[in-house]
Amino acid sequence: MTHWKGVDRKVTAIALAFVFGSLTAVSGESEPAQKPLRSLRIVPSNAAIWGAPPIQHFVVIGRSADGLEQDVTSEVQFTLSDSALGQIDRSGKFVARGSGAVALTAKAGGQTAKTTIRIEEFEKPRPFTFVRDIGGILTKRGCNDTNCHGGVKGRGGLRLSIFGIDPREDYKWIVEGGHFRVLTTEENPKYSRVNSKDPEKSLLLLKPTMSVAHGGGLRLEAGSEDYRAILNWVREGAPYGEEPEQQGVRVERVEVIPAEAVLQEGQRLQLVVTGYLSNGKREDLTEKVRYLSNDEHVVDVSDTGMVTAKTLGETHILVRTPGHTLSADIGVIQGPVRHFPKLQARNYIDEEVLGKLRRFHVLPSELSGDAEFLRRVCLDLTGTLPPPHRVREFIADSNPQKRDRLIDALLSSPEFVDYWSFRFGDLLRATFVNSLTIRGSRAYQNWIANSLATNKPYDQLVRERIAAQGFSAPARNFYYVAELTTTEVLMPELIRLFMGRRIECAQCHNHPFETWSQNQYWGLAAFFAGYTEVRDAQVGNGLIIDVLGGGHVDQPKEMRVANPRTKEKVDPTFLDGTKLPEKEWMDPRMHLARWATSHPYFAEASANRVWSFFFGRGLVEPVDDFRSTNPVSHPKLLQTLAKDFRDSSYDLKRLMKTIVQSRTYQLSATPNASNKADKSAYSHAQARPLEAAVLLDAVTQVTGSPEAFEFHRLAGDGAATPGTRAIDTIADICPSQFMDNFGRSTRKALPAASPQPNLLASLHRMAGPAYNEKIVREGGRLSERMAKLVSDEQILDEFYLAALTRFPTPTEKAELLKVLSERPTRRKDTLASLVWAILNSREFAYNH
Amino acid sequence: MKRTECYRCLGAALARRDFLRAGTLSFLGMTLPDFLRFESVQARAATLAGNSLPKAKAQAVILVWLEGGLSQLESWDVKANGAFKTIPTSAPGIQVAEIFPRIAQHMDKLSVIRSMKTEERNHPQGTIQTLTGHRPIPALKFPSVGSIVAKEAGSRNNMPPFVIVPMPTEGDFFNYQEAYQAGFVGSEYDGMILPDPSRPDFHLPDLSLPKSVSSDVIADRQTLLRIVDRHFRQKEELAEFAKMDAFDEQALKMLLDPQVKKAFDLSQESEKTKDRYGRHRVGQSMLLARRLVEAGCRFVTAAGYKHGQWDTHGDMEQLLRGTLAPLLDQTLSALMEDLTQRGLLESTVVMVSGEFGRTPVINPKGGRDHWPDCWSLLVGGGGIAGGRIVGASDKEGAYVADRPVAVGDLYATIYKAMGIDWTQTYMSPIARPVYIANGFDDVPGNPLKELI
Repeated sequence: MTHWKGVDRKVTAIALAFVFGSLTAVSGESEPAQKPLRSLRIVPSNAAIWGAPPIQHFVVIGRSADGLEQDVTSEVQFTLSDSALGQIDRSGKFVARGSGAVALTAKAGGQTAKTTIRIEEFEKPRPFTFVRDIGGILTKRGCNDTNCHGGVKGRGGLRLSIFGIDPREDYKWIVEGGHFRVLTTEENPKYSRVNSKDPEKSLLLLKPTMSVAHGGGLRLEAGSEDYRAILNWVREGAPYGEEPEQQGVRVERVEVIPAEAVLQEGQRLQLVVTGYLSNGKREDLTEKVRYLSNDEHVVDVSDTGMVTAKTLGETHILVRTPGHTLSADIGVIQGPVRHFPKLQARNYIDEEVLGKLRRFHVLPSELSGDAEFLRRVCLDLTGTLPPPHRVREFIADSNPQKRDRLIDALLSSPEFVDYWSFRFGDLLRATFVNSLTIRGSRAYQNWIANSLATNKPYDQLVRERIAAQGFSAPARNFYYVAELTTTEVLMPELIRLFMGRRIECAQCHNHPFETWSQNQYWGLAAFFAGYTEVRDAQVGNGLIIDVLGGGHVDQPKEMRVANPRTKEKVDPTFLDGTKLPEKEWMDPRMHLARWATSHPYFAEASANRVWSFFFGRGLVEPVDDFRSTNPVSHPKLLQTLAKDFRDSSYDLKRLMKTIVQSRTYQLSATPNASNKADKSAYSHAQARPLEAAVLLDAVTQVTGSPEAFEFHRLAGDGAATPGTRAIDTIADICPSQFMDNFGRSTRKALPAASPQPNLLASLHRMAGPAYNEKIVREGGRLSERMAKLVSDEQILDEFYLAALTRFPTPTEKAELLKVLSERPTRRKDTLASLVWAILNSREFAYNH
Repeated sequence: MKRTECYRCLGAALARRDFLRAGTLSFLGMTLPDFLRFESVQARAATLAGNSLPKAKAQAVILVWLEGGLSQLESWDVKANGAFKTIPTSAPGIQVAEIFPRIAQHMDKLSVIRSMKTEERNHPQGTIQTLTGHRPIPALKFPSVGSIVAKEAGSRNNMPPFVIVPMPTEGDFFNYQEAYQAGFVGSEYDGMILPDPSRPDFHLPDLSLPKSVSSDVIADRQTLLRIVDRHFRQKEELAEFAKMDAFDEQALKMLLDPQVKKAFDLSQESEKTKDRYGRHRVGQSMLLARRLVEAGCRFVTAAGYKHGQWDTHGDMEQLLRGTLAPLLDQTLSALMEDLTQRGLLESTVVMVSGEFGRTPVINPKGGRDHWPDCWSLLVGGGGIAGGRIVGASDKEGAYVADRPVAVGDLYATIYKAMGIDWTQTYMSPIARPVYIANGFDDVPGNPLKELI
């Protein structure tokens, strides 16, 4: 039985024994170095070396009594069972001198660890491939970084593929030369970067060693191992080497150890990177990969993978090698959490989140109080503040199930439909372009509302949106919204919105950060090649259809677009390269819709987006920017959410319920000393500004003075039905200065990030009618209460309950009543000022 | 003359030399007496403003926005295929279309760039390209020149730094406003949009406190707010809250500063002045723009034409001669006179432009269509030289014959005049660095040497 009143420390049947079992309460000071160790281990364990150079890096991890692990390699005494087979230095780097098996022992802090190293063919060089051996150097040295030669136009005439994803191209560029232009494929005179007659004079060597001027600076030391590798390669005729794709040995998988680590400020940790080869062997890649910190304020990382913790926070170290990108999740904390409370998980969300918090030594905040929870969940599910009597009711209710009951009530309320129609209206862009299409935009908005009211499966909703055509499909009105009539804009929006990928940059050139190619971009764009509108002058409505030949029925039948750079025509092609068969060209968007909604990207992007509605950020953030260089904060949780969403037939309400029922969602927003720097581990709730429409409705509700909306001239003039709420309105139909100032989306583009403070909003809060006239209007809450001779204290309570969903604290009440009592002749003004103050408080304007 | 590092001195030296050479195709044909007379006129103007040397730094910009795209062939770059004859101007060597007689008298203060070169051929995209220097892309919203100036130059005298008067469009629902706004740089730098100042009920929403809000009330509000918000802010303080505080402070200062309110109050102007500018939306917007920069605004967009009014696809001659040219002629000349008389010209850059030019060929409807390949605009004031020609178009005014100018080159010139580093990049949220002055071929623009 779960108890939600206050913090419950009883262990129940749903305890996390398996997660917390290893941790016991301890006392004792913790210092960054020289802690007594409880245990020691060597990573990687069971190392297997194959081929020359026969190297393996080892890191020795010590676990201290407080549960923290540390890299203690520098304090370790290593011994090898057979020194004839190899030697190991102080940094943990082992170099073999013979084949066989040798035992490695590490001693530190009174503890011992052992592992066995197997060595095979220690003298036989691994088969050479340009991809790994030269490509690896180019990646490691940063030559093919985005802002260097891997950039869209390359540098200094040399263009390499980003992350070495196209080794054949890179090889051609280096050995034959080339010249890059964004929008044409003209070739200029080429010159090779290798000099077979005089290898040491190869530009590939002269430039990075700064023997000639090099904008990229010193990247290679003359005489270093990498230098010699390149030199030897040129001397041997610059071969391409094995074709890894066919029979050659390739790296199938790369692993970084540790994948997760917690450090204290100033501590260091060496990462070890292992490549798993296609022939079953392994290769130590620690010195061969490129390391980048995603946030250099939190940690930085050296060229050889030594991580140093700088300030509190969490970030990822990206590890790059040709064909692979992976990351290590590093948290920096002040000190270990000595007593991690036993907390119950309501569902898999809590298991994952609490698990990570425990591993990262971040203490979650307390559970939210009732008032805090009530306000937050009402705003998150319905965009509506609970009225004062509901607040009193909920706080007084002693039913242990009250939170679940509240959630159910909110999910089945009409306000739920209204609010999510508004949110999805912003995302799906329900608006209009000119007076001919207003009815259509209303139909589109109504379709969204109906879909939500009937809890239509989300994938079905998306398919209807993508494939909409004909006269009557309401979602076809999306295609009228201005600036969307070109394939270049239609397609990326769809991918971004429903699949969480930003493919736009690949319009003109291969994507600079990710591996989207321009052909993939135009292959998807080709699905819209035939999309057009056939207008019926009498009816006035347009018929949205896909026409072979792009709108002119007498043109040759083809569903293709031209790649603007290569000028080649591209067939409709899915991301994996499969083309849409010609017999399906009559209805390309239906196929696109089916493909998109059954693609794994769809489930994870949708789950991520729904998650972000409740937490202010996604597990991938920004929510529509999934890429290898933007690691997921909780990969397993995202997978589970995606699967859950998919398995439930994309039931939105069910997913939302799972989220808001979790303990994680219900945590307080008040941080503690351990978690105040945390922004991405969900240790506490984060404050988020209210959307403009929600804020206006809140002001209306608190002041009790209705907001009158008028239709724009082009929308037919006149007044909106009294009682229309701000979340019911569309910007272009019902203009509102208030909402414009507070960041309302005009729906002419995807919604921007949450509203930002700005001057106009401040002016409006000082001088605008919503914060002045609305407060004192006749018939409004304040004037009614005063007319009924309600006391100051009762008025105070009521406005606090209405606006802040809580009672004033005793201190607040005393101070505020005092101010009121000091101005007896200006009671009305002072009460109005009090309401103004409440409405202007950050507490009111934020969801927390 | 010894070259110095000080660009101001260098600028002056260049000005003297290049004065006779601006745009290699035209020799200004001045005789020495003309030249000397010109010089003395400049000096006198400078003295009127109370300075013996022109100021190197402009303080504000007025953008006279000709929505729809002004035809270069019927304005500042008349060729044989233009519909109108030319008239001489106060700038020797510059002739303009006969429909702008009053502007002609001010061409010594404004220079003409005849070789603007952009790519976007449609209004929304063209507006974005001309106002931001970048071609629009779905991934990113670029900041407009107004937002950049607001950000770099900051606010003066409690005035909002960037104002747009009036609302950019009333016609259709292309989101033109996007082109004017701050994009990824942040809504703090959005322009303040004003309604039509020519209307009798013109008032600034939110720029005056209601009468019931006395200073007592203001004090009470602050006191009560501190008490109410303390509980919450003790528990959670976000960086945003401090930002809100800063804007609140600025807003209150603006509201309490009578000068701010006065700046927006057209009734402070004489009837004569209002008549001179013209009692219509275009005129009163121009007049308000002058008031606003005088009061301290940094960048004001003065427009007021009907939606896309300059977009003369048909009946061009009639529209220009009958409506458009008289409007611009009256209002721009009034502005130039006014700025000069008030000594504001040295510190105010004036830019007169649409989103692109118009086709060299007249279409069957008697108009010209969109043409970004070679077009003209006027710029001057604020230390930017007037009376010069930059670049040239070919015989038909169709393509650039000499010295193509990117939008970024123009903005680099304006930024330089304002003392802003024009080579800067802003980092966008998609990790793509963006030039504030975007020149050709993905490099920063260069200030036009001929002008500054």
